[in-house]
Amino acid sequence: MTFSLKRSLAIFRKDYKDVSKNLYVSTTVLMPLILAAVYGRTGVETVEVYFLVFNLTFTMVAAYVQSALIAEEKEKNTLRGLMLSPATTAEILGGKSMLSFLGTLIVLVMCAFFMEYQPGNLLIISVASLISIVFYIGIGTLIGLLTRSVMEASVAILPVAFFFSFVPLVKPFMDEYPILKAVNFFPNLQLIELANQIETGAGWGDSWSAILIILGWTVVITSFVVAVYNRKMVDH
Amino acid sequence: MENIIEVKNAAKLFGNETALNDVSFHVKKGETFGFLGPSGSGKTTTIKILTAQLRQTSGDAYVFGVPTERLKENKYRKKIGVLTDNSGLYSRLSIYENLKLFCDLYDVPPMRIDEVLAMVQLQNEHKKIVSKLSKGMLQRVTLARAFLHKPELLFLDEPTSALDPVNSRHIYKGLEKLKSEGTTIFLTTHDMDEAETLCDRVAFLNKGSIQLLDQPKRLRKQFSNGTIRVELMDGREIYLDRGPDGAEELYEYMSAGMVESANSNEPTLGDIFVEVTGRKLS
Ligand SMILES: Nc1ncnc2c1ncn2[C@@H]1O[C@H](COP(=O)(O)OP(=O)(O)OP(=O)(O)O)[C@@H](O)[C@H]1O
Ligand SMILES: [Mg+2]
Repeated sequence: MTFSLKRSLAIFRKDYKDVSKNLYVSTTVLMPLILAAVYGRTGVETVEVYFLVFNLTFTMVAAYVQSALIAEEKEKNTLRGLMLSPATTAEILGGKSMLSFLGTLIVLVMCAFFMEYQPGNLLIISVASLISIVFYIGIGTLIGLLTRSVMEASVAILPVAFFFSFVPLVKPFMDEYPILKAVNFFPNLQLIELANQIETGAGWGDSWSAILIILGWTVVITSFVVAVYNRKMVDH
Repeated sequence: MENIIEVKNAAKLFGNETALNDVSFHVKKGETFGFLGPSGSGKTTTIKILTAQLRQTSGDAYVFGVPTERLKENKYRKKIGVLTDNSGLYSRLSIYENLKLFCDLYDVPPMRIDEVLAMVQLQNEHKKIVSKLSKGMLQRVTLARAFLHKPELLFLDEPTSALDPVNSRHIYKGLEKLKSEGTTIFLTTHDMDEAETLCDRVAFLNKGSIQLLDQPKRLRKQFSNGTIRVELMDGREIYLDRGPDGAEELYEYMSAGMVESANSNEPTLGDIFVEVTGRKLS
């Protein structure tokens, strides 16, 4: 399968123009920014608090914005036009992800800046975060594909956002209820774990397992998205 | 001549409701083929099957000589244009921005946008936002998008259903131009005049089955009862045989200066449809 960047970029350009005229989507990116600004003033003590904001960015910007972008294409019957064009699955899904990817990246960097987050190893945490963005965009795409309208998608995203934002809060209870330890394998917790490790001087040698686990989740979700998308190409 | 579309015994069930039932036909290269039928007869379903948006329950459908599942391939996508009844334009963007996206997707130079907009009489409306367009304008933009990439095969699902007669006539002219350039057109309609104007052959679809398929001219001949309709000055309307007897009678009426008008009494496609299916078209 060949990949034409030109087609993906055309979809990205279209999304950019479209979203800049759509206040509804544009305002959700403000939430993590406001929170980051508040924490920036009060000062942040622990990695967990930084990642409360970063997780909110992953769910509200990467996953939510993405789900809205995909759901709107379905609601307005425009996804069909893309599907019937010569653009391949990779070009369409790639192009449809560019805006949320860039948006998430920008918001993450701004939040980090507001809160004066200075990770022990910038490169490691950046690599892990970039992979995480793809994971959350996958979640958003899936929700967009499985719902019929932007309204439906914004309802469906709530439990998902809640889940990924607040699962880290069960950590203190893990000793009491060992079953909760399974939660440790979730990509969001792996990321926090990694962030904690690099503060205590961990390098690549100690980090690869967390990165691989996040990557594993991302690959799984991406294949799932492609499968669902291909199914949606043909009505039943 | 080469068959661009070939359908053999295709059927489509939704649950246990039959949308298409044992449909067979072919469309030749360069031909304009019309699918005529009332609402719910299976016109859109047929187009969806032929454009690989829907899989038939049984039977075969070939487009460009390959089974429709293979139409996903890039080289076939570029040869096909589709206009469906639900517009599918980006409402917050301008006409130009919408068409520009599709130029990029189909590898068409943006210059082409002016050409297609002229064909649908929208040459000065580049900057209009799609959500502000009238229904008819929307339909014309969708149509322009369907033939933006000069497809060899164009599917049009009720292309003029939202247009007034003047705009329809503009579209017909545009379609005739495409036809003269060799485009094969498959169109659905419930407008009989449209079918007469545009189509080389028509199929009557009723409740998922093709009931009749031929050239409009031949259908009218087949269903004409061989009479001439004569209106007389006194308001009477009489039907005369087309043979020598009728000629004699007509001669007498004409000599007496009693004839207001004389017409061949061929049925319209609409009349034939009612006769064959017992149903009105719209
Ligand atoms: N996705 C679907 N699920 C269930 N039934 C469907 C579906 N699509 C179409 N049908 C049914 O199939 C039949 C044919 O529908 P189709 O849309 O092909 O008709 P049509 O000839 O295009 O009508 P119209 O002139 O109103 O557009 C109808 O009875 C319709 O209810
Ligand atoms: Mg229809």
